[in-house]
Amino acid sequence: MSTGAHLLLIAVTGGTILAILRLVRKQVLRAKYSLLWVTVGFGLLVIAAWPALLDLIADSLGVNYQPALFLMLAVAFLLIIAVHFSFELSRLESRVRTLAEELALLRNHIQSIETSGALSDAPVEEIS
Amino acid sequence: MATGSTTPGDTTANTYIVIPAFNEEASLPEVLSHLKSVVPQLHVVVVDDGSSDGTFEVAREAGVHALRLPFNLGIGGALRAGFRFAAEQGAERAVQFDADGQHDAHQIAALLSALDAGADLVIGSRFQGVGEYEVGRTRSAGMGLLRVLVRLLSGQRFSDTSSGFRAMSQRLLRHFAVEYPLEYMDSTETLITACRLGYDVREVPVEMHPRAAGQPSNRSFRLVYNYARLLVVLVTSARSSTTLPSIPVLPAAEGTGR
Repeated sequence: MSTGAHLLLIAVTGGTILAILRLVRKQVLRAKYSLLWVTVGFGLLVIAAWPALLDLIADSLGVNYQPALFLMLAVAFLLIIAVHFSFELSRLESRVRTLAEELALLRNHIQSIETSGALSDAPVEEIS
Repeated sequence: MATGSTTPGDTTANTYIVIPAFNEEASLPEVLSHLKSVVPQLHVVVVDDGSSDGTFEVAREAGVHALRLPFNLGIGGALRAGFRFAAEQGAERAVQFDADGQHDAHQIAALLSALDAGADLVIGSRFQGVGEYEVGRTRSAGMGLLRVLVRLLSGQRFSDTSSGFRAMSQRLLRHFAVEYPLEYMDSTETLITACRLGYDVREVPVEMHPRAAGQPSNRSFRLVYNYARLLVVLVTSARSSTTLPSIPVLPAAEGTGR
């Protein structure tokens, strides 16, 4: 690998890590996800800085073509992440659904109290 | 009233009619006044599924219970909210009824008497010779396929697997109040689930009107997607639902004397 490409790779992975850290600082990304991506970022940075490490691992595992090992690991990792996100999404959807129900039930309850006159003296109507 | 006398014996049973409604302000007033005149002793709850029109206001003005979901959850979501409300109010049986004027309130009595005879779920079937109900070709092909599928999976033969005109016992209501599929084709899914779980499921012929307003809620390609989804649900549930799931007792229902 040429020195230019090498430096470019290091710069790109380094930039990615910085971008993730920025997201965490702005509190857009939850800490558990930032930890995950920062770890991945540093892993990539190590490989970018020292490609011989990948060759070493590939050799010890008996993989002849090193990029294949890298791609396989990358695909496996992304697949696991995608499944995990689907799982989290399903859980969130079911929670949102329950919350929506609860909200509808509570609103009905409050309105039935209001119409029955129990709260007619309180200034609750202003808020709604 | 003459029509009131056709209501089955146990009129003291606390019965809730659950009506899911999405943008149905046009047809809802007539449906509600019809219910009020035919089955005045039954409670009605309209679940406004995030409508952008005056569905919720129409229901409130009619003096029935009205729940407003903050956004559209889909038919299954609206139904579970309604079932949950009914269960929490201590309903002893529930009827699922359409807001678009397809269902005839006079037929509720037939559904309820089947419940009284011991059924847990009573399906109002459009295809058992009473009245005539027309469906398009794609739909009728799909319905035929569903009938075969349901027969294989439930071990029971049904002429109408997707009817949204149903009545259920308290036992099943409490189940549905906690566990009800969110997506479209919930009728078929729950029909099979109920059979699987050992509930007594029966079919009663009913007459249905054409829609008073609004559009049928599906298109061909969506129908295909939904069949595929249903297939996945049914095949996976074939393994998991051999035992009855424990149904949590709803806290608000505890105070109603059981």
